Amino acid sequence: MSLWYKLRPYVMTVPAITVFILFFIYPIFYMIYLSFTSWNLISPVKKFVGWGNYVELLSSREFQQVIANTITYTFLTVLLTLIIALVLALWLNRKGFIYSFAQGAIFSPYIISLVSVALLWLWIMDPQYGLLNWVLKIFGLSPCPWLTHTDTALISLVIVGVWKTVGYNTLVFIAGLQNIPRDLYEAAELDEAGRWKTFYKITLPMLSPTVFFLLVVNIIASFQVFDTVQIMTQGGPVNATNMLVFYIYQYGFDFFKIGYASAAGVFLLIIVGIMTVFHFIFLSKRVHYR
Amino acid sequence: MKRLIQIFKILELAAVIAIILVFIFPFVWMLSTSLKSIPETLIFPPKWIPDNFMWENFVQAWSSGPFLRYFFNSVLVSISILLLQFLTMVPAAYAFARYNFRGKKFLFGITITALMIPPQITFLPVYLQMSAWGTLDSYVPLILPYAASAFGIFLLRQSFMQVPEEIIEAARLDYASEWQIMWKVLVPMARPVLVTFGLFSFIYHWNDYFWPLVMTNSDAFRTLPIGIAMLKDAEGGVAWNTVMAGNMILVLPILVVFFFAQRQIIKAFVYSGIK
Amino acid sequence: MKKIVVILLSMVLMVSLTACGSKKTVNVGESSAENDGSVEIDFWYSLGGKNGEVIQGMVKEFNESQDEVTVNATFQGDYYENHAKVLSAIPAGTQPDVTMIEIASIGAFAEAGALEDLKPYVEGENGINLNDFVKGLMGNSYWKDTLYAIPFNRSTPLLYLNRDMLEKAGLDPAGPKTWNELREYARALTKKDEIFGFSTPIDIWFYEALVFENGGGILSADGTKPAFNSPEGIEPVEFWQEMIDEGIMKRPPGEKYNAWDVARQDFINQKVGMIFTSTGSLNMLMEQAQGFEVGTAFLPAKKSYGVPTGGTNLVILSKSSSEEKKAAWKFIKFMTSQEQTIHWSKSTGYMPVRVSAVESAEMKKLYAEKPQFKVAVDQLEYAKPRPMVPGYKELQEIIMNEIQRAIIDDSISAKEALDAAAQKAEKLLK
Repeated sequence: MSLWYKLRPYVMTVPAITVFILFFIYPIFYMIYLSFTSWNLISPVKKFVGWGNYVELLSSREFQQVIANTITYTFLTVLLTLIIALVLALWLNRKGFIYSFAQGAIFSPYIISLVSVALLWLWIMDPQYGLLNWVLKIFGLSPCPWLTHTDTALISLVIVGVWKTVGYNTLVFIAGLQNIPRDLYEAAELDEAGRWKTFYKITLPMLSPTVFFLLVVNIIASFQVFDTVQIMTQGGPVNATNMLVFYIYQYGFDFFKIGYASAAGVFLLIIVGIMTVFHFIFLSKRVHYR
Repeated sequence: MKRLIQIFKILELAAVIAIILVFIFPFVWMLSTSLKSIPETLIFPPKWIPDNFMWENFVQAWSSGPFLRYFFNSVLVSISILLLQFLTMVPAAYAFARYNFRGKKFLFGITITALMIPPQITFLPVYLQMSAWGTLDSYVPLILPYAASAFGIFLLRQSFMQVPEEIIEAARLDYASEWQIMWKVLVPMARPVLVTFGLFSFIYHWNDYFWPLVMTNSDAFRTLPIGIAMLKDAEGGVAWNTVMAGNMILVLPILVVFFFAQRQIIKAFVYSGIK
Repeated sequence: MKKIVVILLSMVLMVSLTACGSKKTVNVGESSAENDGSVEIDFWYSLGGKNGEVIQGMVKEFNESQDEVTVNATFQGDYYENHAKVLSAIPAGTQPDVTMIEIASIGAFAEAGALEDLKPYVEGENGINLNDFVKGLMGNSYWKDTLYAIPFNRSTPLLYLNRDMLEKAGLDPAGPKTWNELREYARALTKKDEIFGFSTPIDIWFYEALVFENGGGILSADGTKPAFNSPEGIEPVEFWQEMIDEGIMKRPPGEKYNAWDVARQDFINQKVGMIFTSTGSLNMLMEQAQGFEVGTAFLPAKKSYGVPTGGTNLVILSKSSSEEKKAAWKFIKFMTSQEQTIHWSKSTGYMPVRVSAVESAEMKKLYAEKPQFKVAVDQLEYAKPRPMVPGYKELQEIIMNEIQRAIIDDSISAKEALDAAAQKAEKLLK
């Protein structure tokens, strides 16, 4: 066995592994370390403050609101997206030009830049001249302040989030539906099972891996929301739409409280970490199903 | 009875069209706004077809900043990332798929861990790292952290693992080195996965706003999404017609590509996750 | 074959990465001067739109007028965004050489050691006459008795009036002179669902003005304690709340300067009859107002007239090389020269920063033709500098947030909001 033979696998994996260690693993440890310091980026001194940042974070009313906002946003976005996507998938899962066109149409927001979506909806939701309030007016309803009022701003962002990703979710559901073996449905027809029963007893259970997959993927993605917040509301009005990633960005790059921002980053890490672990447990289980 | 079915069908068709409209309307609105003059954008109820088609809005949007530079940067960054990912992905996936070596589990574990960590968590420490190295505001922070893709390695490894041993044995007879086997046999076999991944990665990085926003400060390195977002920062009232014109410039290429490659693109996104 | 292509492409990649890696090779500024021999400096500015174009024009003129210094000017967003970018660029070593700092934040930057002491340059061979600068504008140039900044685009808030609308409603086109008159005028001008009589961004700057007019202050004299949660500080918020509840005042939506944009847009579209905004928008507003006359007046008085000054001063960053700093000084000298400040003021509405400019024949002619331009200069008599202790940079946003909260949420009183802000202030100011 030549030396080269032994070294070969390492040489092949080293470039990728180096990137991962340098830019993924090491930064996590660096961030954890920073979370125990107080630093304003400019001074050369990083003061050690122990748990100080975490204490400040947990007792901060602002942070509590940020967590509440992020959880609310995630919950609403994921729920609405999955329900609408499932309905659309059941409905649009047919052959025919209009149906494939519809599938393409609802998927299109997913591949354009989130910046484009944010700018577009910022304009559509303009309280004075936007498309949405015009539509409301046609139906005789009073105009909505959308992004500009604390009560409606978060929901407005949810709407944008749902619009962007529902198409992707629908198509994944459709793929899942198409994977359900025909004979199951044929058997159900023979038993004269009604539509609802078929849905509950066959479709839903067979789709459950897909549901679970989408659930986790959507939750992780929603927790990471940033672009729409930064472009459409800047976390406002009065922190009504301030969410975790934006909060970290704000404290790191606007207020220069690096240690504090790192502590918030550790929070995000823990939350996303837990979710991803679920994801992987689920993934490995699925392999067994096959 | 037949009548009822017919009515039902028409209603259903109408509903499908309604759904399509919900998703197409905003784009139409975008186009309409991009061709208006400023006063026309500020009428309520809104006008759909502007009196004069103000094509100069597009010129205005394009010349509001060094857009050629932004475009060049987007292209350079996206393609460089793709290339580097490809170069690091293939050997790594091959090694994980077909070799046994000490520490394989550990190294693969590192890969999985990297897969789990999103940029929204690493941006602050990576920014500080780049700052300390003096490489902020260059192409380095935009490209290097993405030079390898854990997701890509994961996908490709699956694909390589599915190639039967006999084919590789046969190849060993034809080719002298593993290197050649890797590139000349396995890569062509994994083409669908590679194309899928390539599409996915390119679109993701082309559309990326967050990472370049954090890592660059000067126009020389900004990418297209940032340039477009900055359109709304003009003082003295947002000129929505210009912003939407700029938005059209950003969106149109992707929509055109989507129109022609719809099947592939959908397949890429939909199936890459499920695997 | 494929391998060769891949390797070639990678080489191209490496080459372009290193060659294009330096931002100094990209000429994104307006300069057309040659690079050899001249010192290149970076100027980050924070005015966009029309005013940004004027800046670009001035930079171009400077570059073309001499060949010792070449300025690369980059637009970085609004004041807040530019501050953030400068601060984050410093440890990375990518900071500019000269930039604009909003006056209330100069203390923060100076305290952090980011700014260069300008005294040697002022008194050196290439110096300027500080006495020629308007006294009322020099307050925010010093921190702890050291000179760090030279006034550039300076302003006061103004009350803008749609003169035609006022006349049609039978009101004095010169505008309201007191808070009560403002309320009455707003009532008379409001047409439900069509026109609001008055609008102002709920911004810290205008709040400061109202507090000054009410005989109060934002901070204690030594700058270590909050003073804004006194009755004098609470009344302005209540004043706004009352007018909004009555439906005669509009709160323009949007964060920070976005709200300013909405207010200006509404004024131009005649959806609002009177607004508060900066004198720096005067030229732009007069140009874009179609079909009505734009008038300007002092902010209406309560116990007296009173306004904070505003805008930015030019600073040199301390980390630049001495060659770059000398070049930056040359640039600052140009931008604040009598000739340039006259040009700047005429093109934007910001006040001329030099006494000799104010008294020049050219400006006198402008004031005679368009007296709107003189109002800010006259209002300087009642102006006070903005607080500039380092903690105020963050505190001003906290105060603004709390006031907005009280205005949006009916269940929160002005007093509660300001007390909440005062609590956080204690920590920031010590």
